[in-house]
Amino acid sequence: MAKVAREMVEKAGVNVDELLELLIKNAAAELTTFYYYTILRANLIGLEGEGIKEIAEAARIEDRNHFEALVPRIYELGGKLPDDMREFHDMSACPPANLPVDPTDVKAILTVLVEAERCAVRGYTHMCNITAGKDHRTYALSLAILNEEIEHESWFSEFLGEGPSGHFIRRGETSPFVRPFMPSA
Amino acid sequence: MRRLTKEELAQYNGKDGAPAYIAYEGKVYDVSHSFLWQKGRHQVLHTAGIDLTTELDTAPHGANMLERFPVIGMLIDTR
Repeated sequence: MAKVAREMVEKAGVNVDELLELLIKNAAAELTTFYYYTILRANLIGLEGEGIKEIAEAARIEDRNHFEALVPRIYELGGKLPDDMREFHDMSACPPANLPVDPTDVKAILTVLVEAERCAVRGYTHMCNITAGKDHRTYALSLAILNEEIEHESWFSEFLGEGPSGHFIRRGETSPFVRPFMPSA
Repeated sequence: MRRLTKEELAQYNGKDGAPAYIAYEGKVYDVSHSFLWQKGRHQVLHTAGIDLTTELDTAPHGANMLERFPVIGMLIDTR
């Protein structure tokens, strides 16, 4: 634990235990999303699915990167991941991104994907709101993740016909915003 | 439609097997089956069994999220 780093956040008026619980729940959401997106991506087949497969893969890898980036912060603040992975799954900040009843329904898969991203956007917006000006490191990390989640949402929203996303899919390395926070980068 | 006082609503806090109800602008919603309201807690900061009308103002989502849940009653203002 980074003792003084935690003290500074407490002195700024943040309830660190509540913040930790939120960080752990969001880390759970990222790792479970990585798992469920693996299944969704595997089912994006055929002419209609192939075009979306690459973008689903970019979101999948970036959500795994978000998990990697969150873990050090959890331990820095004196928290830890649950010992039981099943418990970790069930505490996720977002519902499981389950494969739709009809796995050949690409629009249904896209709807699952966009709803998962929207949950993440809300979650990290909230994290930014409660840490802004108080916990600079968690704020910077949450903001970096939020930037990528917003892009994920906009990609899937565009494919659903809800309007242009305003940007291109990734070319080259993933996680342009979160990469500086990843311990393995 | 069922009518509940705030005291009655407080019993439905999602703990110890109790259903989880929340109130918003006079309507009482059953969130018991929501993944995000397990054991009557939502995103660490909110608990079931209370009127969340004020708290929703600072939430990162709007009241439209409540449309996913069944309305099971009306909250009686006992002031």
